[in-house]
Order: sequence, then C-alpha cells, then structure tokens
Amino acid sequence: MLDSPLNPSADRSLRAPTADPVQVAEPVETTHIRGMSVASTVLALSLGVGAVLRFWNINALGYNSDEAVYTGQAAALAGDPALSQFFPIFRAHPMVFQYLLSLVYSVAGVHDIIGRSLVALIGLATIFLVYRVGAELYGQWTGVIAATLMAVMPYHVVVTRQVLLDGPLTFCTTLTLLLLVRYANTGRALYLMGVGAALGLTFLTKETGFVLATAAFAFLALCPEIPVRIKPLILAGVCMMVPIFMFPVSIALAGRSDTARSYLVWQLLRRSNHTWDFFPTVVPPAIGWLVLAAAITGLFVLRSRRTWRETLLLSWIIIPTIVFQIWPVKGFQYLLPVAPAIAILAARTLTQWRPQWTHRFRTGLPWLNMAAIIVVTCSLLLPSWHDASDQQATSRMAGAGGIPGVRETGDWIQVNIPQDAVFVTIGPSMANLIQFYGHRKAYGLSVSTNPLHRNPSYEPLTNPDASLRYGDVQYMVWDSFTASRTEFFTNTFNKYKDKYHAKEIFSYSIPVNGPDGTKTNEPIIIIYEVTP
Amino acid sequence: MTAGRASHHPSTALVLGMVLSLLGALALPIPTTAKSADAALQLDTNTPIKHLVTVMQSNHSFDSLFGVYPGANGIPKGVCMEIDPENPDPATCVKPFATTNNGADFDHSHDTFLNQYNDGQNDGFLNAFRQRGEDGQLAMGHYTESDIPFSYNAAEEYVLFDHFFTSASAGSVANRMFWVTGTAGVTDYQDYAIPEKGWGDLPTIFDALEASGVSWKFYIENYDPARTFRDRGVGGSGTYAQVNWAPVLNFDRFLDDPALADNIVDLDQYFTDLENNELPAVSYVVTIGSSGHPPSSLLASERMLKQMVNALMMSDAWDTSVFQWAYDDWGGWYDHVPPPQVDDFGYGFRTPAQLISPYAKKGYIDSETHDFTSILKFIEDNWSLPPLSTRDANAISIATGLDFEQSPRPPALLSMSRETKALVIPKRSGIHLSYSIAIVSAGVVIAGSFLTDRLRKERRR
Repeated sequence: MLDSPLNPSADRSLRAPTADPVQVAEPVETTHIRGMSVASTVLALSLGVGAVLRFWNINALGYNSDEAVYTGQAAALAGDPALSQFFPIFRAHPMVFQYLLSLVYSVAGVHDIIGRSLVALIGLATIFLVYRVGAELYGQWTGVIAATLMAVMPYHVVVTRQVLLDGPLTFCTTLTLLLLVRYANTGRALYLMGVGAALGLTFLTKETGFVLATAAFAFLALCPEIPVRIKPLILAGVCMMVPIFMFPVSIALAGRSDTARSYLVWQLLRRSNHTWDFFPTVVPPAIGWLVLAAAITGLFVLRSRRTWRETLLLSWIIIPTIVFQIWPVKGFQYLLPVAPAIAILAARTLTQWRPQWTHRFRTGLPWLNMAAIIVVTCSLLLPSWHDASDQQATSRMAGAGGIPGVRETGDWIQVNIPQDAVFVTIGPSMANLIQFYGHRKAYGLSVSTNPLHRNPSYEPLTNPDASLRYGDVQYMVWDSFTASRTEFFTNTFNKYKDKYHAKEIFSYSIPVNGPDGTKTNEPIIIIYEVTP
Repeated sequence: MTAGRASHHPSTALVLGMVLSLLGALALPIPTTAKSADAALQLDTNTPIKHLVTVMQSNHSFDSLFGVYPGANGIPKGVCMEIDPENPDPATCVKPFATTNNGADFDHSHDTFLNQYNDGQNDGFLNAFRQRGEDGQLAMGHYTESDIPFSYNAAEEYVLFDHFFTSASAGSVANRMFWVTGTAGVTDYQDYAIPEKGWGDLPTIFDALEASGVSWKFYIENYDPARTFRDRGVGGSGTYAQVNWAPVLNFDRFLDDPALADNIVDLDQYFTDLENNELPAVSYVVTIGSSGHPPSSLLASERMLKQMVNALMMSDAWDTSVFQWAYDDWGGWYDHVPPPQVDDFGYGFRTPAQLISPYAKKGYIDSETHDFTSILKFIEDNWSLPPLSTRDANAISIATGLDFEQSPRPPALLSMSRETKALVIPKRSGIHLSYSIAIVSAGVVIAGSFLTDRLRKERRR
C-alpha cells in the first residue's frame, strides 16, 4: 500500500478521479519512524508546535473585556459569589462553552488560566479535525499539511489563546464540515443527522455560527451528485433543532426570557462598529498571505480536477465572509470558522500541484513542494511566535489578545479600595475588567443611555456629572487602550477628572520604546480618586 | 514585559519561559501609589482609635427619623396624640404618620419642651403648638427609609443609638454647648442665649486637647470667619447659623489666638486633610446648609453625611477612626420616650445618633443611655483627658457601640440607594439541565454516526 505525501490518486476516498493534465508528485513509499508513519509523525509534531504556540505565556497578560465577560458568565453559572454580583449568567450569546467552563470552575475554582487552557485544548482538537477533513477530501498528506498550517496560523493561534467563543465555534463548524464530508463520501444518512447535531452545537456555542448551516445547504443545493433524501434531511433537522431548542428552554427555565430577545434586537439595530474594509485589512494577514495565495492558486491551476469538494470548501468560505461583511458588527475573530477550509485548499495546492515548468527537473518535484510547504509554514510560524511571545502591546485590536496591567490593577483595587466603591471608566471594556479583577462596580462613560444604542448587558451612568459631584462614583480609571480609540469620551473623562480635581492614586506602567530607542515607563492604566 | 525566547526543547522552553515570564510580570510593571504620614497615629490612645469625627446635624427626634426602623425603640403601636391632653377626644387625636415634608421648623425652646414633656406624661406634643396658636400636627409625622436611605444603610451596617438623649431640654445652642463643654454654659434657662461677651473662660474639650498635645480641628460648612458672637447677625432667628451652631465662635480666645483660630476651618478642609493624611485626632464638624434643619432638605443632609463617611473610608485614616453623628435637638418633633431628668438642664428628647467605625458592631442598635457628653466621655477616655463637668464624668461613652475584640472591618462604601442588593440569580439547575441535554443528545448522534459507520466497515471485513 502506498502512503503518498503528494499523490492524490493514492486516496481511495476520491469518488471520481478525473483525467488530470496537471502533473503530480511521484509516489513515495511509506516511511515509518519508531512505528509511526511519517505523516503521523509530522501531524504529531504539528500538534506539538501548535500546543507550544497556544500555551506559551498563555496567562502572562490579564483578560480582555470579552474574555472577562465569558469567564464571568461561567463563574456566575458555577456560583462564584464575587463574580456573580457583576456578571449576569445571561448576557449575550448561547453558552455551551461557558457551561463547560463552569463545570471545571465548580471543581477547580475560578482562575484565568483555566478558561484559556480549555480554549487552547479545543484549538488543538480543531487542528486534528482539520487533518481529518483534509484527509477525507484529498488524502492523508493534504490533511497533515492543512493541520500544520492551522497549527501555526496566527489567526487561529491568537484566537485560541483567549477565552473567546470563536475558538470553540470553529471546532464545532469544523466538526460539521467533517460530518458533511463523510456524508458526501458515504451517502449514509447517519452522517447527515450528525451534521444536524453539530450545527445545533455550533448555534449553542455562538449563534452567528449558524450561518454555516446556510453554507451546508448551499453546498447540497449546488452539488446534485450528492443525493439528499427528504427523510434523512428531516431527521437531520430534528437533530439540529433539539440542541438549539435548549437555548430558549434554558432561558425559560432560568426565568429570564427577555434577555436574549433584547440582545438580538440590539445586534440587529446597532451601528456598524467598523468600516467595510475591516475584514479585508485584518483577516488576510492573520490567515497568511501565502496561505491565501496557495488556496486561490490551487483553485485556478487545479480547476480541471474540480469536484464537489471545492464547492463545499468555497461555500464554507464565501457565505460566512459575505454575511459578516454585510453584517454591521464586525470583530477580528468572526471569520475564524472559514480558516480550516482555506487551510485545506492551500494544503491541497501545496501537496498536489506540480507546475509544468518543473518537469524539466527530474528530481525536483517533491522537494519543491516540500520547500513551498516549509516556506508557507514559516511565514505563519514567525508572526504566530511573535504574537505568543509579545507582552509589550500597549494597544491591541479587540479580540487580538490580553491586556497588560489589568490583572495587577484589579489585585490592587481589591486590597486598597473600599468595598462597594463605584468606578467610572472611559469605556465599557475597562469597566468589565475592573469588575472582573477588582470586584467593584464600574460604569463605562461611553455606554449610551439610549437602550437602542447600547449593548443591553451594559448599564449606563445616566448622569456622570451628578454621580461624581454627589460621591455616588468615587473612582475614575483611565486606560491607554480605550483612550487611543475614543477621543470624544476620553475628553469627556478628562473634563470630569479636572472638574472634580480627581487625584491620582495608582498607575500601572510598562516599558515603551521611545523614538530614540530608549525605554521609558509609560502609564497605561491610571486610577483617580474623586472626593468632594 | 517581554517573554523570554529560548531554543531549548519545547517542553523545557515552555516551563522555563512560563517561569521567566511570570517573574518578568512580577518585576517589570510599576504600580505606584501615594502615601504620607499621619501625625495622629503617633499619639498614645487607650483604644485602637486614633481619629474621632463627630458631626452635629439639626432638629430631629429619634422617632421622626427612625420611628419605624426595624428593631429599634420606635413609635409604639396605638399612639394617638391628643391635641388637648386635658380634653381627650379620640375623634381628633393624631396618629403618627409617614411624611416626606421637612417643611416645619417647629418651636423647640425649653418652654415647648416643658409643654410637650408635661411632667413626664409626654403627651403635649400637639398641645404645645396649640397653645402657641399653631397647627403642629406635622410634628407627629415620621420619615421612612426612602427619605433617609443613607442613614438606614449606615444603621444596617454599623451602629444606631436608640436611647441617645439631647443633653439639654432646649434648642441648639445649649445642646451644642454640652457637646463641647459638658455644660449648658449658664446656671439656668432663664433668657438663655449666647452672652454678649461670649462664653468667657469656660473650659472646652479643645482646651483639654490643646493641653495634652492632641490635635483637633473644628470644621464648619461654608465657614465665614467674620460671623462670630461679635457680629451675630440681626438676632433671634436672624442670627447667623454658624454662630448658634459652632460654639467655638463664641469664645474670645478661639477667635483671637491664632494657634487656636487656625483650627477652625471650612469643611472643605476635612476632605483635603483626608487626602493629605492629615486628619487630626479629634474633628468636630458643624454642617450649615446640609444640617437637615427643617425646612432644609434631608436629602442634602444625607448626601453630606455620605460624602464625609465615604471620604473617610477611602482614606488611610479609616482603620483607626470613629465617625459619629447626631442631631442637636428634637426640633419639636414627637418622640415617645420621656427623657430622664438628670439635672436642671435635661435630658431633652431623644435624637438619632449613629456611629461608623472599623470597630463598630455590625447592624447594632445600642440602647444604652447616652447624650452629647457621651462623646466627650469617649474623647476623655481615649486620650486620657480629665472630665470637663459632672455630666461627662458620669456619661456612658459611645464606645458601647464598638468592639475592639473584633478584627477591624474593611471599608464598605455606603450608598444613597435602598434598592435591595439581592441578586436575581437565574435557576442554575434549569440551565445545567438544558445544556446537558443539548450536549449529550448532539454527542450521541455525532458519535453514533462515526461508530455505526466504523462497525459497518468492520462487519464487512
């Protein structure tokens, strides 16, 4: 039996091998290292590198706002008395991940590293699923290379180092993809039901992931060669609806029926938080330009071998991309579910394409492909390593990592600030972090008093001037991250700070490189005390 | 903070890197805070208390503010005050009622006290005003927690005195004299007023503190140094409030000796002193616009008290402080407890008094008999000073509300809100059940699809 790293014809799962004018690699014999095939060894190595990239310094920085919210929800669900005061269980999104995290918290207590480690482990599991999908579609080596790309891809590395829902969401969508591929390969109804169940879990992880259901339907509609009978489809629908139905059931059983509805209304009506060019600007570098180039090149140069597989992967990429591009709310991590499909397409190109001009070099082909794989992998590995090891960031895009100083600031607050003290911050993100780490009530100055213009889970400070004047709010927190994003509310904050002669009582600084190369300590978080 | 980069084996590098980064995280950040010395801490005291702040508000009886406070000796059931006790009429008697009207500045002279007290019958609260040709029915009104939310919050967390009597059965001037001298300053209530030449050489607690080197200040809200007994306004009700309410302004020596006069400052200085860690050992505070004196706003009184208390809690002085406040007289309002008469001057009717401290008993209602000289007693006991009079010598200290055996309580800022802090916790069991069903049902289908396919393949083999 051949175990070819670069020969798709060796893959029996391909249904309809086509006459292929594109030359492919020479088959090579299976090689084993201490009982493991080379492919398995490379896969294990990729998972190891992926683990290092995800766990290295994973807890060096404190949480960002979203991480604090999800962890706070899980802690509240686990009954943590301190965080239950500040983080309602129902806040935003269904919460299958928060539920799982709460089970761990119930046993081990609430610690930053637990949530991040759980997401990182789920990220590693996703890498394995990418391998499985790639192997099912194009053979083992394509799967291995796709998993390798995923393991070192900055987009996936960065997001799965944080307690965000998009890492677990990508696991669920990739599981859905695997089941869909199995269904397409085997035609067995049970896999279609599995697709339904996985889509249900996808929704329960983060409702926006449900857009992948559209992608699945589009794929089935566009590929008549994949037969779909009504009865299995109905059963798949039932399998999908059972988990989804548990979302409203959980809200009803908990006696909080209005929460999810409020949040949905707000999501539909809220203003756009980024310009149209946000995704085109931030996602390609995070996925890797060479990965994208490889994926797109493969679609062109291997077009003669086009099957339902490419239709599936393109549906998995294009539909979410269009939906989130149109959707007013944009976040760095939102397109992560498309990354596995892109990685597989890129791996397909890297393992299956032999350019015509290389035919003159008799010995060059596998090594040329391997060189290309190494180059592409290194192009991802270096920025991923940089992201994993960089703890100096003074401003980060939302969803792109932790925040320096917030944990230390919260610890200081717990020791030095009276209980039941009330804080005002420039924005709600720092307010979340003050509540999470400092266990004190905090309001974001920028949270609108108009319910239509604010996240329903945020509580506005209806009259900050009076609150400061009458001592209802006693502390103000400035942070460089928010200050760099909102000039208007930073100015408002400074106006109140000056008006009430707020006195600086704490600052957290980090070393920053100056223009001349010298390092100076710059404050990134300052706490002011307001007394009458 | 930068993470260390290592080229060792990944496992070693991971562990080493995490350790290094942890150390880096501990070493590199520079949190800074401001601290300064507190001179009062250096003084010897007989308790852990190094700072006393005593605030005098105005004109409320205990029942008018705390008559319906749960657990306190409040308004008894079945009370109906006769307008004319000599001719009782169940049809016209007035029952205590909740009010939000702070608009009545009833007469609260010694004569009114005598009529209301009625030789211990304590049944002349309306008759006293009827005799003056006034409608005093509002005197039977009382406030609720929504009117004085801060005071209720403070009582629930700290100490409420429900047998704290005004020292004098008269108005503000006499009671505030007891507050600082342990005496009314005169031999009887005949034509009681601040003497034309002030209170002369009458010893005050501030003289005793000065003699012992104990720091003190007298903070006055909206303080105007020009308004003293020497220029007291138009007289009668036109007398400047700070002249009536700040006894130190009626002594020549406190006005003329810069060493003493410098200790009389505006209330703003209280907050500055807290910020600068310079709160004196003993602080007397007289509020003016925020005194709660009818018809001024109780809300303003509550806000001022909250700001003073919270500022203390936010300062470094909190750990060694007692903050206490009371109302200088009953203001003509109904109070159902006939005051014991310990001498020719009093007691007068009960007044609300409260105490906050890291050593305060939690939610404690102190029913010991106190009066304003109980504050002097505490000062004298704590800083080893001799009594000023027989009143303070015999008084029970306000320390009955303190427990020095307990660990100092961390500060917990008090709010003006009476909204319940109880969280609306969703039923977690329902959430656990529904998500468990979702995960298990989906898991069974997904795992089943893989396993069934595998079994089928194995059967074929």
